[in-house]
This record gives sequence, C-alpha cells and structure tokens, in this order.
Amino acid sequence: MAFRKILVPVIGTKADEEAIRLGCQLASKNKAKICVVYVITIKRALPLNAEIEPEIRKAEDILDRMEGVAEEEGYEIETDLIQARDAGPAIVDEAVEREVDLILIGIAYKTRFGQFSLGNVVPYILKNASCRVILYHQPGK
Amino acid sequence: MYIIVVGGGRVGYYLAKALLDEGHEVLVLEKNAEVTEHICNQLGSVCLRGDGCEVTTLADAGTGRADMLIAVTGDDEDNLVACQVAKHKFNVPRTIARITNPQNEGIFKKLGIDVTVSSTDVILEHIEEEVPTHPLTRLLTLREKDLEIVEIKIPADSPAIGKQIKELLLPQRSTLALLIRKKQKPRLPRADTVLQAEDQIIAVTPPESKESLQTALRGSGTSLP
Repeated sequence: MAFRKILVPVIGTKADEEAIRLGCQLASKNKAKICVVYVITIKRALPLNAEIEPEIRKAEDILDRMEGVAEEEGYEIETDLIQARDAGPAIVDEAVEREVDLILIGIAYKTRFGQFSLGNVVPYILKNASCRVILYHQPGK
Repeated sequence: MYIIVVGGGRVGYYLAKALLDEGHEVLVLEKNAEVTEHICNQLGSVCLRGDGCEVTTLADAGTGRADMLIAVTGDDEDNLVACQVAKHKFNVPRTIARITNPQNEGIFKKLGIDVTVSSTDVILEHIEEEVPTHPLTRLLTLREKDLEIVEIKIPADSPAIGKQIKELLLPQRSTLALLIRKKQKPRLPRADTVLQAEDQIIAVTPPESKESLQTALRGSGTSLP
C-alpha cells in the first residue's frame, strides 16, 4: 500500500520517535510527505489563541527532536504546532485539512486503575478519522 | 463573543448550533454523559460534562472570561442558580435564563438576572396574535423601559364608543399611539378623536396598567370582538 501524506501526532515519548522512524520507512518508497504535529490543549479558562510560553517551548523542543530523528533516517519532515481544546478532534480535523491518507500514532503501554488503557485521544481518532490509522504500540513491561 | 449555554437539551442544542453558525465561541454544559457525547459528535468539542450550577464546573468552563451565560435547562431553579453564580462569582456581564413558570419572572429580575425568556409567555403571545379571542394582544415588550406595546380592538358594546379620548379614564403612563379604522389610513389619535366600534388601538403601557387600559377602552366585560 502506498501513502502520499502521513500525519504523525506526537507528545514526545520514545514511542513517538519510533513511529517517526517507521513513518520515514513507509514514506521513503513513494517519497511521501510526513507532517508531524504537536497539539497544545488549551483550558477553557483561556482563549484558544492564548500564548502559553512554557508549553510552546516544550512543544518546539519535541518537534525539533522529531526532526532530528527523521534526519537520522535521511528524511525531511514538516512540523506544526496546533492549539486546540481537545487533541482528538484537532488531529482528526488536521488530517482532513491536510488531506493525509494515513495517521501514524506511537503509543506507549499505559495503565489506568491497574487496567491497560489507550486513553481518550487514540479511541477518538480510531472512531472518527476518515483515513487509515496505524497504531505503533510499544510492548508492556 | 464567548457564550456558555447551561443545559444540552433540545433548546440548548439548537441554541448552541445557531450561535456557532453566527461565529461565536460556544460551550454547552450538560450533566448527562450520553447527551454530552451526542453534542460533541454533532457539533464538535463544544460540550463539557458537568453541573452548570456548580462553581468548579463553571470555573473549568472558563466562565470568568465569558461574555454571556444562557441557562436553558428545563428547571427554573437550576437556571436561576447557574445565572446567579455566573453573575456574582464570575462577573459575567450578561445572564439570560429560560423560565417555564411565568410567575418566576419577577423573582429572577429581583435576583439580578438580566433577561428572562418565558417559553409559556412566548407561546401565549403567538396564540394571542394568531387567534383573535383575546381582548388585548401584546405586540412587543420594551423590557428596559418596563413598557409593552399592545393592540386593543373596540367592541360594539364598549362604553368608550362615541366618546372623545380626553374623556376616557386612561391609566397614567399609558399612551394611545395609533388608531386604525376600517377603510382609512392609520393615524395618530388626538385628544378630541371620537372612538368608533371596531377601531383598533395600538397603545404603549406599563404591564401593570394593561387591565385598567382595557377597562377604559372596552368596558369591564371582556366580550369577544
């Protein structure tokens, strides 16, 4: 299967770095474009365009690191920072806007109340994305 | 404008939809998880699950920066509390409450709610306009001036027929603004204008003087026109 545009949402984990590497391998066959996005979730108490400096700095550091990972793979990626109320809908909307044909998500093994959990964002994307989605899941302990 | 809508029922849902279409930033507060999910699926992430009467929920919703809070749950008491907390705790400039019992309107006003919308009154107004069985029809409410614009038809048995307007005992602050007579142009009534049967009068009056105005123009009975 060939992909032309791949969207990789990141939060800065090891799983994200591995997802970027996988994305580069998938993209290299067809010289597909890779867009890496970081979503800053803004609380309702603030307007959507509020500039939260520490969050912006953290996001830029993560995106720089992801660019470095892609460079190691010999690939050039596009990075973007999005401010939204909820990450799930923001990623789905971004995928539609950029007309991507794949969302690639790296997820670490997480538990909640002792049970394995995917959180809120991944299930939302799986349910609502209009393109293909690949979950790159790191093994549990 | 940032608008918070408390209550995600049918009224809240369509209100939020209309406000979003107008380009406002809207957030709906809804207690029920299923309703919250439905609204988020239909309108995007514009619904937060929580009790709009609670300070913590309103704080999470960013009520402090809201320009307006509209409480449209089916419960008058909840709407009152949500508006009061928004007004006094978060200094929201404008609060609007839906009321189902029209008798609550006065209490809401006294407690500082800026605007009340009574669904019962709205329906009654439409019935008055559409079905000519009411001796007096309210056309418009000028809330800030505490005045109403009403329409009164003079029945054939009215004691006001044949009298000049200056002879009538009109209540204070009530003014006859327009006279509409069959086959004639609408005109401004003067002190010496003599009233005739079937005349239509458009008057401006305080709500509490409506009954006295009606008695002066139609007599004490309320027979059908």
